[in-house]
Amino acid sequence: MNRFERIEYEPISVREALVQMKDLSELMIDLAYSSALFDSKGLAQEVMEIGERVDRLAYLLDMNAMVATRGPRDAESLAGVMRVASAAETVSNAALSLAGMVLRGNAVRSFVEEAFADIEQKLARIEVKHGSTLIGNTISELGLTSRIGANVIALRRNRDWTIKPRDQALLPGDVLIARGTATGLEKLRDFAEAEVDIGSMK
Amino acid sequence: MSDEYHRIVQSFVELKNTSELMMDLAYSSLLLNSRELAEEVLRLEDRVDVIHHDFQLMVLSCSAIEQEPEARLGLIEAGEVTERIADAAAEIAKVILRGPEPHAVLGQAIREAEQTVVKATISEKSILVGQRLKEAKIPENTGMWILAILRGQGWVRPSKETTLQAGDTLIASGYADGEEYFRKMAKGRVRK
Repeated sequence: MNRFERIEYEPISVREALVQMKDLSELMIDLAYSSALFDSKGLAQEVMEIGERVDRLAYLLDMNAMVATRGPRDAESLAGVMRVASAAETVSNAALSLAGMVLRGNAVRSFVEEAFADIEQKLARIEVKHGSTLIGNTISELGLTSRIGANVIALRRNRDWTIKPRDQALLPGDVLIARGTATGLEKLRDFAEAEVDIGSMK
Repeated sequence: MSDEYHRIVQSFVELKNTSELMMDLAYSSLLLNSRELAEEVLRLEDRVDVIHHDFQLMVLSCSAIEQEPEARLGLIEAGEVTERIADAAAEIAKVILRGPEPHAVLGQAIREAEQTVVKATISEKSILVGQRLKEAKIPENTGMWILAILRGQGWVRPSKETTLQAGDTLIASGYADGEEYFRKMAKGRVRK
């Protein structure tokens, strides 16, 4: 069986591919550290799958940049674009090797935990409890970033992960992976555990 | 935790923080077409190389790490993750330093990304004026993290103690949903 499929040319915008590669590669880093911290092979597997998407985008971006090149000046300027895309791919690969360690037994869990005690941008695993203010709301409605400076980067419902959830109404038992300051994540935990007036929490 | 092990953890924290800051600064240098920021990325890369080398030596020689080779290898690999991110950031910075002017698509992509870079100048009316960064609570309120402060002709590397002044231009990165509130804070449209 061949795991590596041929990637056929399809016209996509170089800008769009780059936006996605940048967003996905940075998200992968946070998700990979989360998988180590919270010892989640499921999350590490998600990182692997996003990595495949980044890989595919990298090919498509290169192909489309080549097709768009109309001479030496274009080539000079598009070469820079391809370098930036390749940097995003390097970040994605770094995240993959971290997720790979988690899949192989997560020998780094306690080390990563100790490190995060001294890192300002924290990651948290938060379970939505019965009676929580969050229930019935979607992540995009909650506007957590501008309210408390915390971002939900993944949601686990039963056994399924949603990466960057936005439009699902939250249910009791949902598990959120969030990133933010210690204060922001504490507030999110309060919201997840009981009925709190979100408006007054600023 | 032994002192030796604690130093390894601290060194990793510095590697992780610096490499991720470099990535944000590198994207900022593209967005703003700023050679200064790109040069700072390369200075930080030199620092990462030195810290990473020390980190590896400490991991290889530390007696407090569990006996299984897996544990030691895991730490080495974790260090590599940060080093690769630093290298990627340096690659981006070199695009700026080599010229020609970066392709327009690069700036557009960074502006459109969910994790974006924002530049905002602090007005005289802003609640940020006269506050130290740790009091200003910008990440707590907006999810945006300050990467660099342009002041006069030069720029300041932000620390918790940095006092913000009217006229400072803040370069920050974070999720785009926090951008609007961040701009309002800088403009003086947010009151206590």
